[in-house]
Amino acid sequence: MTLKLAPIALLLAGCGAETPTDATGPTGPTDGPTTSQGPGNEPLVDDLGGPRDTMVAAFQSDADMLLDLVSQSASDGYIIGNLNLGLVDSQFDCELTYEPEIAESFTWNEDQTVLTYKLRDDIKWDDGTPFSATDMAFTFDLIADPLVASPRISFIERMVEGQRPEVIDERTVAFHFTQPYDRITMQAHTSSLAFAAEHVLRDADRATLRGHEYNRNPAINGPFKLAQWVPDQKIVLEPNENFTGPDRYKPRLKRVIFKIIPEYATRLLELENGAVDWMEGILVSDADRIAAEHPEIELYRRGWRFLDYLAWNRFDTADFQEKYEDAGKDLDWSTVQEHHLFADPAVRRALTKAIDIDKLIGDLLTSESGEAYGNRAVSTITPTLCNTHNNDITPLPFDPTGARAELEALGFGDADGNGILDRDGQDFSFTMMTNSGNARRAKAAVIIQAFLKDIGVQMEIETVESNTFFERLRKKDYEAALSGWSAGLFVDMSTIWHSGQEYEFNFTSYANDEVDALIEQGLNEPDTAKANEIWKKVQAAIYEDQPYTFLYWRDDIVGVHERFNDVKVDILSPMNDLHTWWVPANEVKYDK
Amino acid sequence: MFAYLIRKLLLAIPLVLGVITLIFVLVELSPGDATDRFFTPETPPEVRQLIEQKWGLDQPASTRYLITMKNLMTGDFGRSIFQERPVFDIIAEALPNTIILSFATILIIQFVGVTLGSIQAVRQYSLTDNTISVTSLIFYSMPSFWLALMLQLLFALKWPVLPSSGMTDAVMYDYMTTWEKAVDHLKHLILPAGALGLASAAGIARYMRSSLLEVIRQDFVRTARAKGLSERTVVVKHAMRNALLPIITIIGLQLPFLFSGSVLVESIFAWPGMGRLIVQAIFTQDTPVIIACFFVFTLLVVIGNLIADILYSVVDPRIRYG
Repeated sequence: MTLKLAPIALLLAGCGAETPTDATGPTGPTDGPTTSQGPGNEPLVDDLGGPRDTMVAAFQSDADMLLDLVSQSASDGYIIGNLNLGLVDSQFDCELTYEPEIAESFTWNEDQTVLTYKLRDDIKWDDGTPFSATDMAFTFDLIADPLVASPRISFIERMVEGQRPEVIDERTVAFHFTQPYDRITMQAHTSSLAFAAEHVLRDADRATLRGHEYNRNPAINGPFKLAQWVPDQKIVLEPNENFTGPDRYKPRLKRVIFKIIPEYATRLLELENGAVDWMEGILVSDADRIAAEHPEIELYRRGWRFLDYLAWNRFDTADFQEKYEDAGKDLDWSTVQEHHLFADPAVRRALTKAIDIDKLIGDLLTSESGEAYGNRAVSTITPTLCNTHNNDITPLPFDPTGARAELEALGFGDADGNGILDRDGQDFSFTMMTNSGNARRAKAAVIIQAFLKDIGVQMEIETVESNTFFERLRKKDYEAALSGWSAGLFVDMSTIWHSGQEYEFNFTSYANDEVDALIEQGLNEPDTAKANEIWKKVQAAIYEDQPYTFLYWRDDIVGVHERFNDVKVDILSPMNDLHTWWVPANEVKYDK
Repeated sequence: MFAYLIRKLLLAIPLVLGVITLIFVLVELSPGDATDRFFTPETPPEVRQLIEQKWGLDQPASTRYLITMKNLMTGDFGRSIFQERPVFDIIAEALPNTIILSFATILIIQFVGVTLGSIQAVRQYSLTDNTISVTSLIFYSMPSFWLALMLQLLFALKWPVLPSSGMTDAVMYDYMTTWEKAVDHLKHLILPAGALGLASAAGIARYMRSSLLEVIRQDFVRTARAKGLSERTVVVKHAMRNALLPIITIIGLQLPFLFSGSVLVESIFAWPGMGRLIVQAIFTQDTPVIIACFFVFTLLVVIGNLIADILYSVVDPRIRYG
């Protein structure tokens, strides 16, 4: 089935801080509940005597759009992924790998610029129309059309115009790339979406595609069908009786109900009272209690998906804002006045040394029984990408005395005796911005403030509403910020770390020529092993510069009722391969 | 009466315009816009520009304000940026649910408030009166969201007799008989309506108590007693009708609080009404939906007050509007 993959997505706390935004992210070794359970030899639905039981899953928000090329929410992704088969089946083991699904095979040409897929001949849309290469070409044509304004438009950036894809025949397509790039990423760009049915959308107005009926009642080719959708209440999936694909994809469950419950407390309560069978985003503070009081609920971990970090803005905020207003994206960074504190990597390194990150993990991400749901971070690459993550980076030690000494060596001292370091008559004082509605970050901010105070650094905390927070990060209108990312499973470090003006998510205005060059080299390296070595160098160089104080990777806890077998909760999805989940006959809860 | 109602409705026009203008300004002052959700770090700037153009967000605020006002005047709520559907359809889905919840809440307010207030008045200074007074004060002081969580905890988890979210049973509703469906609907209404209504009911009980006490001391009640009528008839038929007069006005005035309370309570109980819609719209900065919701809320408040006025004249025939 399809998995929506995005390289990296901003984690906006507040409205959805504790809820994954996409089917992407890290996983990793854990000492706690296991991560993935499917043994790979699940019984076929015929072995079970037909599908049975109903699973009720709690969703924070309703789905919006079921046409994948315009959809964006996590809820959309979960539904779409079950209504459609993917071109390939994504697996994850240290890196993304691909198995055939709609494509019965795929091959790269010798110079790794052409990826050819051969499609199965037995996949049909639910109205009986065969799925064909035309649907794929049509989907990419829509993505490429600026009128559609698809958020997947970056998928085609490195494809040759007119050959994205080239339709060789109804069952064969070839994607042509402008030059060899990283194969995992490129294959994800061709396959990590559900295709649109050309015969249904052929005449649709492209400018209003988001408002098209298809989003509420899509053509499907996957194992489940959309049986009912009561807006803001529930979405019901049932086995698609018109599914023509292999038997192994046929669902073992009779129904899956996605119940929309916006409040975390209500979702948790319903998991506890049995009204709900599946829930993601369980807080660390609740995990122990659930485990102790509800043996019927299995807790699973997805792995290291979410990063929290402290960003240090390189530029003087006021000067940047003033010049950016005049010049916009043409602003020459060399003309902007640097921040009096954070422009110097030595200062940033000293600040990192002053913060006991292990204590933060202990206080915020460790349950009372000692289960750790946090893992120290050294880069924006998740440790789950174990071939790409640089394990050789030694985290800066917690050393407040050393940190203070380093700052003093840089000319800071307490000349006026007010307990705050100063230099040239200016106190070492700044404001750190974070977003409201995220209790974990609010606590982290206070703990960090105390650590910095111990070395004579005064940090004010400014809590702002999530939309404002995001806007100010993008406009670089802050001194320091406590924020987060949701990591992706294929690597493109340019979006956050390249100094090009088009990268507005480079919030710290980080600029390092060596890193820029390495990023371009990494993106253009078709050999994954070689690319990984380049990405490791990028991580090391960035860590040396400390544009962020990388804090921790955070795990996501998912609760599932124990009667479900072959549950797959993993890095790719908190509800992976739902068609394989099943319930033994004697444990069925809902017989209707 | 008719002329009075028309005059009241005309007076409501500047009120509605004022509210909409205020909301528009507030939304404008908040940074970012609804299109932010379309963007990831990989979204090219030209796509961003196109989306902004499509929704008219590249126009100056004054132009958008005039367009919004013009559309509202012609009954066109526009399209939701978040859902890309006509706002009218979205509100048409949510509004009946809020009206159902509000109606149930008003029933709870009336029934509980009037009953308790009457008992207190009849048994003034008794242990019952004092107990109800203290309990009312506790409920009156409770924030509705906290009460909602406590009710959930008590009646959905500790003593699981009532559902804690939604309007119907997510799994079994489709398999129920008509009668079972009606009961299911009622069961789902109890906790949210209780959370919304109990605090107000406590307030109404206080008003009802003092109002009834005042009426009970009047001559016509004494006359009724002197005629030999039973105490029950005296209180229920004679005194209560008069005592209810100020209560009706208060209920009309409570409508705005009912709607604002529903914003939190609907989210907690996953009740798909206007309150939850507003919360979603505000978080996603979906301006057309925000403005339409407030427009509808303001209209509802105006209508609620008019109904209170009409009821006032129905209950008390001495009142005439001209």
